[in-house]
Amino acid sequence: MSSILKIRKQELDQLVAALVARYRLFGPVDLDGTTVLREVRSADELRLGAALDEPAKTVFFPQTETLLHYDGDKVEAPAGRDKPTAILGIRPCDAKSLVLLDRVFRTGTHQDSFWQRRHEDSLVVGLGCSLPLETCFCNWMNLGPFNADGSDVMLTDIGDAYIAESCTDKGERFLKAAYKSQVQRPSDADLDKAGAVRGRARAALKPPVDVPAVKKALAGLWDSPLWDELTLECLSCAACAYLCPTCHCFDIQDEKVPGTSRGRRIRIWDTCMAALFTKEASGHNPRGSGKERMRQRIMHKFSYFVDNFGEAACVGCGRCIRMCPVSLDVRRVLERVRDEGAAKDQKSAKGVASAV
Amino acid sequence: MKAGGSEQELREAARKLLKDKKVGVVVGYARGTGELRSTPAFIRHGKDADRLIFDRTCGISLVPHLRKALKALPKGAKAAVVAKGCDGRALVQYMAEGQLKRDDVVIVGVACDGVLDPRKSDVLSDSCLRCRYPNPPVYDVFVAEPKAVGAGDEYAAVTEFEKLGPEERWGWFQTQFAKCIRCYACRNACPMCYCEECFVDQTNPLWFGKSAEQPDTAMFHIVRALHTAGRCVDCGACERACPLGVRLGLLNKRIEKEIKERFGYTAGLDPEATPALATYDEEDKQEFIL
Repeated sequence: MSSILKIRKQELDQLVAALVARYRLFGPVDLDGTTVLREVRSADELRLGAALDEPAKTVFFPQTETLLHYDGDKVEAPAGRDKPTAILGIRPCDAKSLVLLDRVFRTGTHQDSFWQRRHEDSLVVGLGCSLPLETCFCNWMNLGPFNADGSDVMLTDIGDAYIAESCTDKGERFLKAAYKSQVQRPSDADLDKAGAVRGRARAALKPPVDVPAVKKALAGLWDSPLWDELTLECLSCAACAYLCPTCHCFDIQDEKVPGTSRGRRIRIWDTCMAALFTKEASGHNPRGSGKERMRQRIMHKFSYFVDNFGEAACVGCGRCIRMCPVSLDVRRVLERVRDEGAAKDQKSAKGVASAV
Repeated sequence: MKAGGSEQELREAARKLLKDKKVGVVVGYARGTGELRSTPAFIRHGKDADRLIFDRTCGISLVPHLRKALKALPKGAKAAVVAKGCDGRALVQYMAEGQLKRDDVVIVGVACDGVLDPRKSDVLSDSCLRCRYPNPPVYDVFVAEPKAVGAGDEYAAVTEFEKLGPEERWGWFQTQFAKCIRCYACRNACPMCYCEECFVDQTNPLWFGKSAEQPDTAMFHIVRALHTAGRCVDCGACERACPLGVRLGLLNKRIEKEIKERFGYTAGLDPEATPALATYDEEDKQEFIL
């Protein structure tokens, strides 16, 4: 049985205090006009509802992470955590990305201890998406603006208050412990309002493209001139990959303090969009141009990841569209792939017919 | 946004260049996602010329795309490029630096009223607010009439910033660098960052750390600003490309002012002029050397 309660916006402090007491809390804050995820201690720091410019992965998979410090052959692990982590106010698309990343970082025999250290026992209080943007396409990826996958508690903004609903046992336990007996139950009118908000959000999304058809088409497009055309349009920067909530490639570097035996080993984000990503020690680069790199990114997200994990590595958050310096829209790329695939099928069907 | 008269003229010019086989491709702007964004378009057939637009959403510098388009063409074939004032200046600077021959490119000049800041959508970019060069200095075709040259003080924002104390100034820059995720959109969008291999991509030696922490991010931006000193044409493409709103223009503008005061040189105006940092004169001011 899930809990439903009403949290007035002016009483958000109570929720934040309950989270801060149990967790290291992250939420959306303003940094000189940009909305980023940072550690917060009080409700007035939060910028709930604004489109988050950074993906949620930064909390559990920071761009720069110290793996160890060393001095000669002495190695010291970074300090342990004192509390588990909670995130407040991320959208369902970002929440779902954490589920996908958890599969990558904790697959069978491979358990990434650095991801696990931050992610284990974490709590996500998601904020349903009342107003999808023009760049949103979560519905293409079998998700929706109020999809609960990855959230422990989901908030729905009904104007002067949030309706909070638990989505997991962990979320249920948190709400019960945080609000004990002072729970305010939403009225039927409040629930109607929340239902209307959800309905409007779903209706705002445009009809999806058949993404499985895209995967099928990709199998035959390795040598397609489509990649040449796309790389002319693309700047080959890493904005899409670094702001993607599911892109998870990284590099490891040792940084030695000059003239000493001391240093640190760091893990930093890396991306298949960068030339250096595949450059070999000999100087040879198997993905020598933007064409191969663009193809790799699309293939990985919409083909290889599906083979490995059963779902595409995309949650339709649309950050890559909104933030692309040249407005290269991944939805148009997927449509072009689908159309090329269909054209190729038609051609080969004709070939077979004429051979018969 | 509907196509105005000059947009029709632009499409006609592109169609003619392709029909007369003057160029193999016209690099221009097409509508991007939504009404407020544009995207690079590579027009190879007259029938596609109707995709071309030019309005306040056309903030991308097409010069990096022109470079790629020229490489993709058969030897000897030319490309045409739609150029605003700042883009035209970048092309002039390429000629001054020996990166482009005047004959390799057909410049389709457009007069610019300024382009939108993509993060604000109803405000012009900072670089456009101070711009004094709405028309490309050289061109082959001009669409509509050149605009009157701006007369405002292009260094007003720099002068204001200089009035702040060193801690305030450094604090402002630190806030900017704190937003940086090192995606290098600024560098890749910059017409003047044409190095085959950037200093941050060199690994032997590794000049700077790879982290997104200070001072690595600050060093990237400061060194990039120095590499574009006396070459930056203040097109603002870097600021508009930045997905997280890092404002770099002020740093470049301050350096531009220094170059102008010391050497009387402004980048991107004269293809025959020797770039300020490519020459030495015994009379150069050197009072800063103790």
